Amino acid sequence: MNPLYQIFVDPFVQMAGAPDLFAQTIWEGFVGGMLYALIALGYVLIFKASGVFNFAQGIMMVFAALTLVGLHEMGVHAYIALLLTLGVMYLLAVGVERAVLRPLVNQPDIILFMATFGLTYLLIGAGELVFGGNPKTMIAKELGLPSGGIDFNILGGLVSLQRIDIAAAVIASILVAGLAAFFQYTRVGRALRAVADDHQAALSVGISLNEIWVVVWFAAGVVALATGVMWGARSNVSFALQIVALKALPVLILGGFTSVPGAIVGGLVVGIGEKLGEFYWGPLLGGGIESWLAYVIALAFLLFRPHGLFGEKIIERI
Amino acid sequence: MFYREAGQFKATYAADQAVFPIRQDRIGLALILVAAYVAVPLLGGDFLLSSVMIPFLILSLAAIALNILTGYAGLVSLGTAGFMGAGAYAAYKLSTLFPQVNILVWIVVSGFASCAIGVLFGLPSLRIKGFYLTVATLASQFFLQWCFVRVSWLYNYNPSGAIEVPARALFGLAITGPSASPVTRYLIVLTIVVAMTWFASNLVHGRIGRSWMAIRDMDIAAQLIGIRLYPAKLLAFAVSSFYAGVAGAMMVFLWLGAAEPDAFNINLSFLLLFMVIIGGLGSLTGSFFGAALIHILPIAVRQAPASVGLTIGGATVEHLTYVITGAMIIVFLIVEPHGLARLLQIGKQKLRTWPFPY
Amino acid sequence: MNIAASPHATGAQGAAHGGPLRDPLLAVESISLSFGGLKAVSEVSFDIRRGEIRAIIGPNGAGKTSMLNCINGFYHPQEGRITFKGVARRRMKPHEAASQGIARTFQNVALFKGMSTLDNIMTGRALKMRRGFLWQLLRHGPALAEEIEHRKFCEEIIDFLEIEHIRKTPVGKLPYGLQKRVELGRALAMEPDLLLLDEPMAGMNVEEKRDMSRFILDVNRHFGMTIALIEHDMGVVMDLSDRVVVLEYGRKIADGSPDEVKSNQRVIDAYLGVAR
Repeated sequence: MNPLYQIFVDPFVQMAGAPDLFAQTIWEGFVGGMLYALIALGYVLIFKASGVFNFAQGIMMVFAALTLVGLHEMGVHAYIALLLTLGVMYLLAVGVERAVLRPLVNQPDIILFMATFGLTYLLIGAGELVFGGNPKTMIAKELGLPSGGIDFNILGGLVSLQRIDIAAAVIASILVAGLAAFFQYTRVGRALRAVADDHQAALSVGISLNEIWVVVWFAAGVVALATGVMWGARSNVSFALQIVALKALPVLILGGFTSVPGAIVGGLVVGIGEKLGEFYWGPLLGGGIESWLAYVIALAFLLFRPHGLFGEKIIERI
Repeated sequence: MFYREAGQFKATYAADQAVFPIRQDRIGLALILVAAYVAVPLLGGDFLLSSVMIPFLILSLAAIALNILTGYAGLVSLGTAGFMGAGAYAAYKLSTLFPQVNILVWIVVSGFASCAIGVLFGLPSLRIKGFYLTVATLASQFFLQWCFVRVSWLYNYNPSGAIEVPARALFGLAITGPSASPVTRYLIVLTIVVAMTWFASNLVHGRIGRSWMAIRDMDIAAQLIGIRLYPAKLLAFAVSSFYAGVAGAMMVFLWLGAAEPDAFNINLSFLLLFMVIIGGLGSLTGSFFGAALIHILPIAVRQAPASVGLTIGGATVEHLTYVITGAMIIVFLIVEPHGLARLLQIGKQKLRTWPFPY
Repeated sequence: MNIAASPHATGAQGAAHGGPLRDPLLAVESISLSFGGLKAVSEVSFDIRRGEIRAIIGPNGAGKTSMLNCINGFYHPQEGRITFKGVARRRMKPHEAASQGIARTFQNVALFKGMSTLDNIMTGRALKMRRGFLWQLLRHGPALAEEIEHRKFCEEIIDFLEIEHIRKTPVGKLPYGLQKRVELGRALAMEPDLLLLDEPMAGMNVEEKRDMSRFILDVNRHFGMTIALIEHDMGVVMDLSDRVVVLEYGRKIADGSPDEVKSNQRVIDAYLGVAR
């Protein structure tokens, strides 16, 4: 068969030939995309509020999940462990604000970016020191998360949805909606938007940057915990999970570092595109293309929309 | 007292434009070179040469590669390890396809393969800037690493998936493979690193280096004084990945002896970025400091407990290394965001005015 | 200093200024520029003659900086034509404008902050340096000779601007007034035919303004460099410039000698803010 046919025709023939498989792939991509979107949201929140590209977001996710599971292993009840983990994430937010952000305020972007690298290493080391380096199983059942699958006999075949995936999609949507409402309607939310717009101006009307940073880093920590639980339930909890967070980065190229809707739509595009690519085109290249496909999708998108999905053309001024 | 420039009058612009205008610096450099070429091989044991000096020099070269791109041209890259891998695999393919050509030639030539790939992955820099570009460089890291695993032609269909260095000799003296002595490998690495550092220093002190820094500091103004952004950025990618490629080839051929695709994983890219930041962005000397610190730290952490009679498990040591590295990065950034190179500069300034602080 | 050695400079001397017969170095013909719905410049025409100092004035937001940005290719006007040295051009990249001989300073200083004063000025010589990559790698022989030749040129500029003492200082550490001076130095290093100065005296004290005025006049009178400047200090504008063009809301409302402009009713209205 000629390669052009294999690339440009055959995958679509397969899609049309087995719509149930196609639907299944789309669904899996969609769930993955929701979780990418959540991780990307964590990046966006912090970038908007403090101008920091927080590389540690992925590690915060693993760290949160690890803390949760680790506490449960020590005999703490699942829900209490959840509360305690939230407490740990809050302490982390305060710690980061005190020890990293405050001393480094007004340094160039790259310096803060590097500081979050330091944080990444610190969290990896600390997490493994305390809870051990072995992969752990997420305590999904203890937290009351559903398991098992539901099968639908549609499209002339069988489409199987995992209950945990449905829960993930629902929780992700609730979290996104909740965060949106929080930032739209509360005092802290307004202050945050002010800070995102202009640090100096926000300071001059009496908004405390330090307070905002703690709130935002805590919010990002909550998002990290939620994503950590979801990803952990789908595979298991170890620092190998951070690779997932690296795959959420192309979402940022697509959606922009500052756009919440961009993070959501970008996450879905990357999630679905990646699954379709791996399933239909992957075999042509020997498989495993998931590791870089998301980046290629994002870069290809940039060729057509250099300012991202929702970005406006910025008029450069001098 | 001894570090003074008083009395050293520069009568020509040539003398003032020199890379080291102060005589004591030139003497210092000469002493370091003598020590590196004579004292280290004579006095150092195999452990010092194979596990400390050779890796240190190779990592320094890789850090210089990244520093050219990030410190001088302002393009933050997370893909350096991928380019090192490109160099390593190119050297492996070339040396197995054409065994009659000397391996040292292939190590240098493999830089060009990495260079071409670097330019290709530098193309997005024409459209995107800042953190967007940083994320895009991850694409090269992941794509190249995927190639090292999946394209079996690259590792000659070796069932283990690894590349093993063939034994090669120069003038009858084994320089690669298991029979090569650490001293030989060390001297070869040292020579290549010294030569390439000299070239890099020439480059960054001249027209090209200035245009890179201009783009880094304010790209719009650079354009308006006639610097063409795209060629300059692509040149930075080209030079940087050439250096990374040579470093990668040396890493496999003169240090490790064999490598799996995982040797060039993203962690190495991160570590190189730490070296550059801790050493000092935009400083070649800093690249050496950074490499020394980041490479020697884990060795020190591993040896320290044993030396005071404590026994700590291997895994714990590894975790501790992570914690210490992370904490050190943060502390360094807070104390001196411009890195060790700036500390050296401040020290020299103090020395110059000593004993009177003004 | 041998800036006058530039082949295009006319070597004009103070006396023969602004005569109507002098050919225009640059002509702007009904330029319009808008961002989305916002018209920054609409249908503006004027010319700059060889050897003159041309001032562009107007209230804030009148489109003065946008005008300069069009001239050196940073913005691309949607309509109109710009003719430089007799050649009309439509779309051009900033580095092309630079290589044709247009240099520029900026409203908010746009120096390369991490580099020394000397390196900043040397960067201005980028277009004049020819030695290729391989010579740069060696930094000996021709490459070094070239480096030193340009260093000499830059030293002349440093002498002229009286900034010898800060030669090796990183410009980020300099006070604002000196930064402006270094920026002028960088533009002069390009040996331009047309020098665009965007508010060269903003934020300066009287003494610094006097120095800067002296430099501008010297550059113009002794080296025959054509200058277009934007400035808010009317005293400076009236003293320095040969002709003045006045913009308001992106339109040209007056054009002529300082005296004509001063007595023009529309200009007075624009500045004093008459209800319309």
